[in-house]
Amino acid sequence: MTGRTARRGAYALAVIAAVAAIVLTVAGCAGGSPGRTFPSLVPAAAPASWPRLTLPNGTAVLSYPPSLRRSAGDTDAVSADQVSTDDTVQLYLNATPRQGAERLQGWAAFRLRLLRSDDAASAHEVAAAEGVRFRGGTGSCIIDTYVTRIGGHHYEEIACLVQGQASASVIVAAAPAAMWAQERPLLLRAVAAYLVR
Amino acid sequence: MSFPLARSAAGLALLAALTAGCSTAVAAHSSAPKPTATAHSAKPSASPTTMPPSVKPSVKPSAKPSVKHTTEPPAPPTTQPPAPPATTPAPPPNPIPQGNGGDHDPDNNGGPSDGDGNI
Repeated sequence: MTGRTARRGAYALAVIAAVAAIVLTVAGCAGGSPGRTFPSLVPAAAPASWPRLTLPNGTAVLSYPPSLRRSAGDTDAVSADQVSTDDTVQLYLNATPRQGAERLQGWAAFRLRLLRSDDAASAHEVAAAEGVRFRGGTGSCIIDTYVTRIGGHHYEEIACLVQGQASASVIVAAAPAAMWAQERPLLLRAVAAYLVR
Repeated sequence: MSFPLARSAAGLALLAALTAGCSTAVAAHSSAPKPTATAHSAKPSASPTTMPPSVKPSVKPSAKPSVKHTTEPPAPPTTQPPAPPATTPAPPPNPIPQGNGGDHDPDNNGGPSDGDGNI
């Protein structure tokens, strides 16, 4: 009698241990670190004091904080950045019409592939999301880190492909990786204010 | 008799769950140094690029069921099929030369990457 009870108890313990192990493993895989969760982007107009840049083709409007200045870039794109006294880029915003094979589905992989094939020696995804709401459209976004081929500069960025009613464009907001945590709220605000048509 | 069996079952279950691992949870954060140069400097550096340490997922063998000892001769060694040829990564869609190449964008000079499609 007691032997049977003890045996049942042992089996119950084994089952509990197995379930606990599986739960812990699954939780570890799915959860990862909290930083891997893509932040919620609530589309909202930028403050009135923020300057605005309209894409030359008129399909999107990039708003940027007053601390940034418009900077040079591709002729069909608009950019703004903030450069420190030692000439280091601290904040960077860019909007560019869709040029190639960018698609909402699989955008994160596309962006990483593009970074690695173009100007980055390495690039890694931090978080990504699809079906992100924007002002006037829907987008797919990735937050990633990369190291440039030239100079070995380490940046972190959020890059979104945003589909409007008639066209698509890409918005990029970046900062040195070491400053990302500090600058992220401002950059996310600029991304949330991005307007597409 | 039953306790060791139960313990073994629990241990096996734990091992199986843990060795299953999670291949997608490998930390991907790199620890490259803080950038110190400008995105606008048109001086292409000839120094080697700084690569963050790559993190490779560890591959663990899966837990194997216990095998009864028998007196039968061991099976002849199986010949493993040749490893499939390594898939070569697709060529870059349209790599713009770095070092003030292309349209002389900041991202061709070590600055943040813009949103173009490499065109």
